[in-house]
Amino acid sequence: MAGIYIYSEEQPVTEQLLTAGKTLANSLNEKINVIDFSEQDSESFIKKGADHVLCLKSDHPWPESYAQIIADILKEKDPTVVLIGGTLRGKTTASIIAAKLQTGLVNNAFAIEGSGSVIETKRIMYSGIAVCTEELCHGSIVTIEPRTFDAAQDSDHQGDTENIDIQPEAKTITVGNVCPIVHQDNDIATAEKLVCVGRGLSDQNDMKLAEELAEKLHAQICCTRSVAEDYHWLTTDKYVGLSGAKVKPNLYISMGVSGQVQHVAGMRDSKVIVAVDTNENAPIFAAADYGIVGDLHEIIPLLTKELG
Amino acid sequence: MSDEEKFDAIIIGAGPAGCACAYILAREGKNVLVIERGDCPGSKNVTGGRLYTYALELVEPGLYKDAALERQVVREQIMMLSEKQGITIDYYNENLEENTSIPQSFTVLRAKFDQWFADKAEEQGAMIASGIRVDDLLMENDKIVGVKAGEDEMYADIVIAADGVNSLMGQKAGLKEEWNGHEVGVGIKEIIELPQDVINNRFAVGQGEGAARMILGQTGGIQGGGFIYTNKTSVSVGMVVSPAELAKQDKSVADIYQDFKMHPAIQKLISDGTTAEYSAHLVPENGWNSVPKKLYRDGFLMVGDAAGFCINTGTIIRGIDLAIVSGVAAAKAILKESEQPGIQYMKNLEELSLVPTMKLFAGWPQITSIPRMVQKYPDMINETMDFMFKVDGKVPPKMTGALKNIMKSHVSLFELISDGWRGFRAI
Amino acid sequence: MKIIVCYKWVPDEQDIKIAADLKVDMSMAKWKISEYDKNAIEEAALQAENNAAEVTCLTFGTSKAKQSLKDALSRGPEKAYWVNDAKAENTDGFVTANILAAAIKKVGIPDLIFFGEGSEDSYGQQVGPRVAALLDIPALTFVTKTAVKDDAITTTRSIGNCTEDVTASFPAVVCMLPEINKPRIPSLKQVLKASKKPVEEIKLADLGLSDAELTVKNKVKSIQGFVMNRKNKLYQDGSSAEKVKALVSDLAKEGLA
Repeated sequence: MAGIYIYSEEQPVTEQLLTAGKTLANSLNEKINVIDFSEQDSESFIKKGADHVLCLKSDHPWPESYAQIIADILKEKDPTVVLIGGTLRGKTTASIIAAKLQTGLVNNAFAIEGSGSVIETKRIMYSGIAVCTEELCHGSIVTIEPRTFDAAQDSDHQGDTENIDIQPEAKTITVGNVCPIVHQDNDIATAEKLVCVGRGLSDQNDMKLAEELAEKLHAQICCTRSVAEDYHWLTTDKYVGLSGAKVKPNLYISMGVSGQVQHVAGMRDSKVIVAVDTNENAPIFAAADYGIVGDLHEIIPLLTKELG
Repeated sequence: MSDEEKFDAIIIGAGPAGCACAYILAREGKNVLVIERGDCPGSKNVTGGRLYTYALELVEPGLYKDAALERQVVREQIMMLSEKQGITIDYYNENLEENTSIPQSFTVLRAKFDQWFADKAEEQGAMIASGIRVDDLLMENDKIVGVKAGEDEMYADIVIAADGVNSLMGQKAGLKEEWNGHEVGVGIKEIIELPQDVINNRFAVGQGEGAARMILGQTGGIQGGGFIYTNKTSVSVGMVVSPAELAKQDKSVADIYQDFKMHPAIQKLISDGTTAEYSAHLVPENGWNSVPKKLYRDGFLMVGDAAGFCINTGTIIRGIDLAIVSGVAAAKAILKESEQPGIQYMKNLEELSLVPTMKLFAGWPQITSIPRMVQKYPDMINETMDFMFKVDGKVPPKMTGALKNIMKSHVSLFELISDGWRGFRAI
Repeated sequence: MKIIVCYKWVPDEQDIKIAADLKVDMSMAKWKISEYDKNAIEEAALQAENNAAEVTCLTFGTSKAKQSLKDALSRGPEKAYWVNDAKAENTDGFVTANILAAAIKKVGIPDLIFFGEGSEDSYGQQVGPRVAALLDIPALTFVTKTAVKDDAITTTRSIGNCTEDVTASFPAVVCMLPEINKPRIPSLKQVLKASKKPVEEIKLADLGLSDAELTVKNKVKSIQGFVMNRKNKLYQDGSSAEKVKALVSDLAKEGLA
């Protein structure tokens, strides 16, 4: 047996993985199988390109506890490759499955390509300064972060569904106090325009400059890690970077951001990047399309006014 | 006071002086602690440099054989630059010690060399604590009895300041004042990476062989000079200029250094290289004249750059070897178990020829401080060369007249005689 | 309570150079304990101070990783285990997890095993949960807070769009996010104490792993510098107001102003 297997505990992410999966299925001439938890979703996944859906029937609320069961299923199916949504839960689940199956795992792949029977992935290393290209072993698992691909479109694709009753075991675990993080504004990860503040701001009053610019642009405000973690001017869900949010807005304006590799790794998929900073040698300018070397206290108000 | 908190010796700084001292003390069974400010030995030291092997032989015969060395220096070069021209005096000598065939000197990269030396000292039993800043000295009845780092106090029979040119410990001990402008140079050092065979070709050296080049001229008319050392796969390029003179004009040292690197004769040596490291820092420049009046007090010795042990003769710069020798002198003084290790230390410095050598070269800094040395003479010699090699199809001027004119246009006879006299007096 | 904290010895990415041909040059790189792992070591040290936990650390590295042991021990652990093998030069999450899990079994499975969220160099984010799976114990990942009570640990996980409190009875693997704590800068006395703490070197051959378990799964074809394709237009002429005008006009051309 073979085939491409796709799983995410989040339905929109599965739809994105279907886009990657379909391209891969074409070049490898393989079928697409999706693992999910809801019959309703199953129907929609088939329309979006799944050939076969394995629908797990269980009411256990902790997604990570399905890892053993998914591993058991995959062991029996002997897949060519497994794509798992690279949410944080997804990466943990993928790691456990990979260990159970004694197979390889590429976390955070930003590209996957198949040719003949060879599958190659790309992911970043050394905080973003390098790209690692790997040739996958048979049955390797790959996680792909949300929004790396657009959701697959509906079509008249046909497929079938298989229901599997399962009983996940997680007896040593109890989960409680689940709190969705309420984003004060919208989620920066999906914002169209972003204004990013860095340590170049002299004090919290300077946030006003960013707010005024953001208001003019209808943009969200985000920040670097130290602004969130050391200064606490914004909450930690607002920091952009390798271990923070990955953003890809159409416009990204940074003010007082030096542009450390870890930060750039979180924003370099933005369509247009503008940088304002006093230090002309700041690495942010290498990552920017347009740059002004200057004092943000002078430049940003001018920019806000000019955009009027 | 528990055992853990009392050492025979605490050495501050894991550079060549500190490591040499620690190596010998530990080998002889002393309980030694070396405290290094950088995350690891050598990490605060991006510079390349030159090691004269005799110094390492004083620590342990044969130790140099597995040291982290770059290239054996076989070409000593002096280069004099005018605006677009340059003359190089190239002296080839494999420089092997007569009886032992030990090479006279090697280029080194301090980051690697210091780490190696610290590892060696550690093998001998010294304890190396990196990433720790010593904040103060502990005193009891006018005797220095230990150090303070953060909240921690650590005691020792003797504290050795090997903490480099700014020696905060020397200042805390009241032996050293902050440097005067005329005693230090502002140094810029850069490591430029080049493939091994490119270096071999450009400097005409074989595998494992290297060149050391001192450069006069093109320091923006400011007292000072440049240098190039060849490492295995990089060259150390740098310049040292007088901060006092620098302050008098608008150009920054970085700009002067850039112009220096862009000189056609220099540029060809380093082109296509990539800068691996770049730093600016202070260098002791004034030889014996800026060595503190006293290098010890009860429970305290100063070694290496902290003690101002550096010689710049204009043709060679010595620092690492003097640092090691002073570390050896300090260790031997401590091992004598005399009542006054400070006096013994000074005696050892005499016996190991360090102090006499420093004194011999005491007048040299004035030589390079003659403004003509850094501009007029290099210009003059290049113009002379130009005259000697110029063929443009015209009738050349008469030799004697032309040479006299060249000289006159640059320096007066009086200046020439007085410079000659100063040079003569200096040695 | 016993804790083993695992860490990796990595090159400092600030010293990594990308050559013109995009080759990654690490020859000038200083090595250090991965920053994320310092958070894990700190959390273990806090457990030692506050809950009298017995903390040891474990690393899999080449002979060069020896340099890391003193640094690790100065951060709190009382003993270091070091699986010393050149294989660490060419490893992946699969092999590393197999080795760490086998080493942990060999020295005795503790109550808690701590990891950072990923390593600073390859950031594979998998070794912690893989080890948990191999030992058949729970993995609590992306943790921002820990609390130990009786024979269980309660953690707060921060996972994208929500936080949750997960409690697991011992033994368990816990992987920390950097915001969990600020790693200490070891003091002189801590550094001195570290050089007296025991280090046990473990030979790979003594772990009883098969060739298959020690063979990397996915084949690395290349590691190359990331190419930034940006316009890099700097406005240098004129007053600040003129620069801003020029910028806005360019943004307008992109349909963004």
